[in-house]
Amino acid sequence: MKIMVAFIALFMLLWSSTGVYAETLEDRLKTLEEALRRQEQTIAEQQKMIEELKAEIKQAKPPATPEAAAVGRPAASEQMQQEVRELNEKVDRVVEAQRKTLPSEFNPSIGLVGETIFSYTGRGSSQTGSDRPGGFDAFQRSVELNAAASVDPFAKAYVVANASADAATGESTFNIEEAAIQTTSLPWNLTVKAGRFFAEFGRLSYIHDHELPFVNRPLVLDQYVGGESRTDGVQVNWLLPVEHYISLTLGLGNQFGGDVPPNNVGDYRRLGGWNYWGRLSSYFDLTPDISLEPGISGLWNPRTNGRGGPLLQPDGSTLTERERRLVGADVALSYKPLRNNQFQSITWGTEVLYSNNHYDAADSSGNVLPSSTVGSLGLYSYLTYKFHRQWSTGFLFGFVEDAQNNKAKAYEYSPYVTWALSHWNQLRLQYTYTDYNSASAAYGLHSNNAVYLQWAWIIGSHAHGWQQR
Amino acid sequence: MKAKLFYLLPIIVLTGIICMGTMPAYAAKIRVVATFTDLADFAREIGGDLVEVHSLATGVEDSHGVPMKPSFVPMMNRADLLVLVGLDCEHAFLPALIEASKNPRIEVNRAGYVDCSLGITPVDVPKTTEHYAGDVHPYGNPHYMLDPVLAKTAIANIYNALVEFAPQHKAEFTRNRDAYLAKLNAKITEWERETKPLKGLKFVSYHEHWPYFAARFGMDFFGTIELRPGIDPTPRHIEELIAAMKAAHVPIVVREPQFPEKVPKRIAEQTGATMVTFPVMPGGVPHTETYIKMMDYIVHTMVAAAQARK
Repeated sequence: MKIMVAFIALFMLLWSSTGVYAETLEDRLKTLEEALRRQEQTIAEQQKMIEELKAEIKQAKPPATPEAAAVGRPAASEQMQQEVRELNEKVDRVVEAQRKTLPSEFNPSIGLVGETIFSYTGRGSSQTGSDRPGGFDAFQRSVELNAAASVDPFAKAYVVANASADAATGESTFNIEEAAIQTTSLPWNLTVKAGRFFAEFGRLSYIHDHELPFVNRPLVLDQYVGGESRTDGVQVNWLLPVEHYISLTLGLGNQFGGDVPPNNVGDYRRLGGWNYWGRLSSYFDLTPDISLEPGISGLWNPRTNGRGGPLLQPDGSTLTERERRLVGADVALSYKPLRNNQFQSITWGTEVLYSNNHYDAADSSGNVLPSSTVGSLGLYSYLTYKFHRQWSTGFLFGFVEDAQNNKAKAYEYSPYVTWALSHWNQLRLQYTYTDYNSASAAYGLHSNNAVYLQWAWIIGSHAHGWQQR
Repeated sequence: MKAKLFYLLPIIVLTGIICMGTMPAYAAKIRVVATFTDLADFAREIGGDLVEVHSLATGVEDSHGVPMKPSFVPMMNRADLLVLVGLDCEHAFLPALIEASKNPRIEVNRAGYVDCSLGITPVDVPKTTEHYAGDVHPYGNPHYMLDPVLAKTAIANIYNALVEFAPQHKAEFTRNRDAYLAKLNAKITEWERETKPLKGLKFVSYHEHWPYFAARFGMDFFGTIELRPGIDPTPRHIEELIAAMKAAHVPIVVREPQFPEKVPKRIAEQTGATMVTFPVMPGGVPHTETYIKMMDYIVHTMVAAAQARK
């Protein structure tokens, strides 16, 4: 009985699979027939076209006397043959060019940037305020994936995803550093950008780390802006319709600064909880080789609602930020000789920032103290001299007063030399001496020396953007 | 009421000023911005008094490295036509300038974007755009303007764009173009006659500017001092180039003025070749303000250098 059942089951299985095969075979035959029919149709059309062309050529032949034809024939024929050869070559090249199939032709342009920092720092992280260890260190600061493309005739979009290593565990954390859409065809010289992006504020805040002229972001930008000017929001840029270059940018966003959390997370936020910023910049050609690019910027967050939590002071008291105000002025003076700008240039860039934040204060027991407004000043100034297509050198000076305690001051001095092997491969050696005053020492910060070797590379697509000019 | 007017009046005036500024100014002249001086020269010749032409480059710049000056932005913002070499020649500075200028008329694929390479069959189209080959141009060598016959394609493209923009002036554009072409054709015949003795002449240059020029006048473009396009020479490359030049008896080293003189001079000294400095666009060296003057200068200098060696 069992054998019988197994036999029937096997028969049914074979029968059903044969059926499927037959069905598939039939489909294939149909497809083949269809392809053959289309091919025949194409051949017929082409045959017809050839006949028509032949007829046209016959009609186009000029009536010539036998003598003239006999005399002119060899030269004309030779010339004709030459022209046909040239034409064939051209057609071959076009066909060759068209034959290229790009599997990625509908993908956005993609580039990957890597940046490794080898360093030696004279003191441990507790005395430098850095999240990196003192002594010898190797740090894959970032691996940045950039993708950009047009969305449609009215907008373009880009994404910058960044994986950076955790200082403690070494694990890389992947996050979206920028993801924004930008209009391309608004009237009245307007451009709107929305999403997550580096807001146009100051001179270097919106530049990615690996594109800075030196290894580390100046102290004042780290302190007052929060590193890069990252925000989630919207920004409008207007190129003024005058003959002189004047650009005005206004924006509003959720948070402002790479390391700064948004305020009022999970709570009710009024419009005052947003960050508002603006920038006005211009440009002057002093001579064909020398240019001046000034700008002013401002940032205002009327209601920060204790952004970042209570900030512990050396005496045990706390400050809680209630309002954030930041203004800045920047200027770049450049000498770029037109003839040699790939081989020689001098750029002097300076930015001065004034922070005027409002804080609620409490003593070490939590008793409320009178609130205060702390005005503090910071600046950086650098000079970069390019003396070869691949080589440049420079010096960065930085100064900053602590945004909560303007008595605590820090100075930085950094000579650096850059070797750009090509557009996509660059090494930079930098020495930095950071000098903290006694008021800073109360926060545990001590003067220290550091040497950095930065190696940055790019693979894939890269563009020379307007901001990196 | 008076108070309302007090506030309203400045707003109206300001709005008026802004609107006047943003309105397309129906100026008498067609505003043309050309990337390089040779294209600007052609636009002036064809457009005559009907056009106002600006060039981004002055002639002395590296054609791949014109500085992105913000002062170009308002000029491009008002342009009716943007005339460019194409084949990615301006990729290092033009896309960002176009974006910053916020002028939809001159964006890629719009009527005001005049790509003069349309109709050119490029040479040296790379099989790969991997960066180990240097800063290669994916569509081929873009320096076709140094062949005066191919430059006529650029003239045709500029003429077509002007006619399309202002068809009412077609007759004048045609007259100007024909007059210029007659002048240029006569010059081409002259240059071909002058360079006849140079057939097969070998030369090297700093950058790959000269394959079209060499092909037109029957010369042999032997190689470049640059290791790869946009990449400076390494000591080994210079050594190999010198050995190859000596073996092949290459008599001429061409140095383009935007590149340093030191290395070409050393190569010329070590190989016994003659170094000549050639502009790659009008204005690159003194007395080459127009395309014809520039080509005159190049041809005469090359002929003189070759004859001096005999």
